[in-house]
Amino acid sequence: MSLADAPAIATDDLTKRFGSVSALSQLTLHVPTGAIYGFLGPNGAGKTTTIRLLLGFVKPTSGSCRLFGHDCWADGVAARRNLGYLVEAEALFPDMRGAALLDYTARLSGRSPVLREKLLDALELSGAALNRKLRSYSKGMKQKLALIAAMQHDPALLILDEPTDGLDPLMRRNFEEVLRDLHGHGRTIFMSSHDLAEVERVCERVAIVRDGRLVAESSIEDLKRSHQRTATVRFNGPAPTSFAEIPGVRVLAREGDRLRLAVGGDLGPFLRALAASGAIDLELPPPSLDDMFMGYYAPASSTTAPTTEAIPTGTRR
Amino acid sequence: MNAVGALTGRALARGLAGLIALLGGIALFEAIQPVVIESFGGAEVMAALIQRLPPALQAFARSRPEFAAVNGLPGLLSVGFTHPLYLVLAISAVVGFTARTLAGEMESGAIQIPLSRPVSRPAVYLSRVLGMTLIAGAVAAVGPLGTIAGLQYLGILDHIDQANFIALFVGSLALLWAIGGLALLGSAAVSTTGRIVGWALALLTVMYFVDYFAAIWSVAKTLRPLSLFAYYDPTDALAHGTVAPRNPIVLVAVGVAGTIAGLVVFVRRDLP
Repeated sequence: MSLADAPAIATDDLTKRFGSVSALSQLTLHVPTGAIYGFLGPNGAGKTTTIRLLLGFVKPTSGSCRLFGHDCWADGVAARRNLGYLVEAEALFPDMRGAALLDYTARLSGRSPVLREKLLDALELSGAALNRKLRSYSKGMKQKLALIAAMQHDPALLILDEPTDGLDPLMRRNFEEVLRDLHGHGRTIFMSSHDLAEVERVCERVAIVRDGRLVAESSIEDLKRSHQRTATVRFNGPAPTSFAEIPGVRVLAREGDRLRLAVGGDLGPFLRALAASGAIDLELPPPSLDDMFMGYYAPASSTTAPTTEAIPTGTRR
Repeated sequence: MNAVGALTGRALARGLAGLIALLGGIALFEAIQPVVIESFGGAEVMAALIQRLPPALQAFARSRPEFAAVNGLPGLLSVGFTHPLYLVLAISAVVGFTARTLAGEMESGAIQIPLSRPVSRPAVYLSRVLGMTLIAGAVAAVGPLGTIAGLQYLGILDHIDQANFIALFVGSLALLWAIGGLALLGSAAVSTTGRIVGWALALLTVMYFVDYFAAIWSVAKTLRPLSLFAYYDPTDALAHGTVAPRNPIVLVAVGVAGTIAGLVVFVRRDLP
C-alpha cells in the first residue's frame, strides 16, 4: 500500500506496558481518510495511551502505529506533518497572549493559519480576548484557544481528546458544526469524548476500548442494531414465564404484571410471542449510544449488558 | 531551523523577568565589591584583614592566605566570583532555565505543543541547549560588567587590565556550561521541576564542599578533581588574564558529555 493510499490512522497489535501494568493490548484499528471517528472508553481504558502513542509521546512496547503510513515513533515528524492535536488547555503557557500563542503554534506547524478567522468567529473568541494573557482566561476560553490552535492550519487529520470539555452547550453546538464542516471538506477527525450524545451526533463510526483492549468497532448504526435493548412489558394479569425461552430474549426482572427483558438480535420471535401473550403495554425505547456504551461497562447484573452475539464479530479483542 | 528559533525564543521568554532580576542581582553584587574594598581602606588594608582570618574562613571565601597579598585588588575582587551568593545566583539562572523548560514543560504538558507538530525531539532539545548557552553567557558576562561598573564608579578602572575580564568571562562561562550540561541531562531524565532543582543543588553543594575541604584538609585533596569548582579559578583570570587550558577543556567536556547524554535520554524516553 502506498503512502497516498494509507489510512489516516492505522494501529496493528499496538501494545503498551508501563512496567508490569498493561495500558494497551494488541489494539488493531484502521481509521480511513475522511472518516469522523469516535474513540470511547471510561477513564483508564487506554484511550489516552492510544492517543499518546499516535502522537509519538510514548514508544510502543510492541506492534506499530502509523499516521498516513508514517510510523509514529520512528518517523514522527513526517507522521505529524499534517496533524492537528488538541493540547490540554491547562498546558498552554500562562504568560503568553492568546494571539501570540496562535502565531507560535502556527509557526511550529509550518503552515499558514488559514482557518483562524473562521474558527475565532465560530467559537466566539474576540480580538480583545486574544490580546489578554492566558493566565486571565477561563477554562472555557483556554479550551477554545486550544481548539483553534489545533485546527487553524487546516490539517488533514485532527486528533481531539475531550474537545468540548469546558465549553458551554452553545459552543458545543458551534464546535460540532465546525467538525461537520471540516468533515465535509474531507478532513479526518478522531475524537474521544465522555459526551456520548455528542459522539452520536457527530461521528460515523466508533471504537470502544475496555481494559486496554478493543471491544467493539463499527458504525454507530450497526452497533445500535446489534445491541440489546431493554423492553418493559405489562400484562393483563401475572407475567408469563414463557419469555425466557424466546431466542435473543433474557428476563431481567419480574414484578407482578410486569416483565423487564433484554432483547437482542432479530425482534420477530419476541414480537410474535408478545402478540400471543396478552400484553397490554410495551415500552421499547430506541437504542442510544449511551445505552450501548453502558452495556459494555455495566456490571454483569446490569439490565443492558450485551451478550457475546451483540458485539460485532471480528472486532473483539 | 525556523522551529528551533521559535522554540528558543519561547523558552527564553518564559521566566524572563526572573532571569533579568537574577542578572541584575549578580551585576549589583559584583559592582559593590570594589566599593566594599575601598571602604576598608583599599586592597592592602583588606588583604591584611583577610590574612588574620582563620584558614577555614579564608578557604570558605576561596581566599588563601597568600593570594590577596600576591594578587592585590584583582585577587580581592575575584572573591566576588567564588562567593557562595554569586554562585547561588549564577547557578540558579542556569539550572532554573533547564529545569523550567524541559522537566517543567513535561510536568505541565506544555512540551506537547511543539511535539504534537512536525518538530523533532532533537530540535526541542537543541533549543534548550541554545537557551542554556545564551543564559550561561549572559550570567558570565554581567558579573565582570558589574565589577567594571564598580571600578569605573570609583575611578580606579585602570588598576586592572581590562583584558583580564575576558579571561574571567571564559572561565565563568565554562563552569556554567558544565553545570548547564549536567542540568540538561537531569532535566531530560526526570519529569518534575522540583526534582531536578533538588538534585542539581545537592550535587553542586557536595562539589562545592569537596573543593572547600580540599583547601583545608589534605585528606580531601585527592577528591578535588571530582569537583567542577576545582576547574574554576577567577583569581588567576582577574590577576593574570590567564585561564589554565586544562580548566575550560575539562568543564566544556563535562558540559558536552551531559548535553549529549541528555539528548539520548530525551529522544528515547516516554513523555509523562
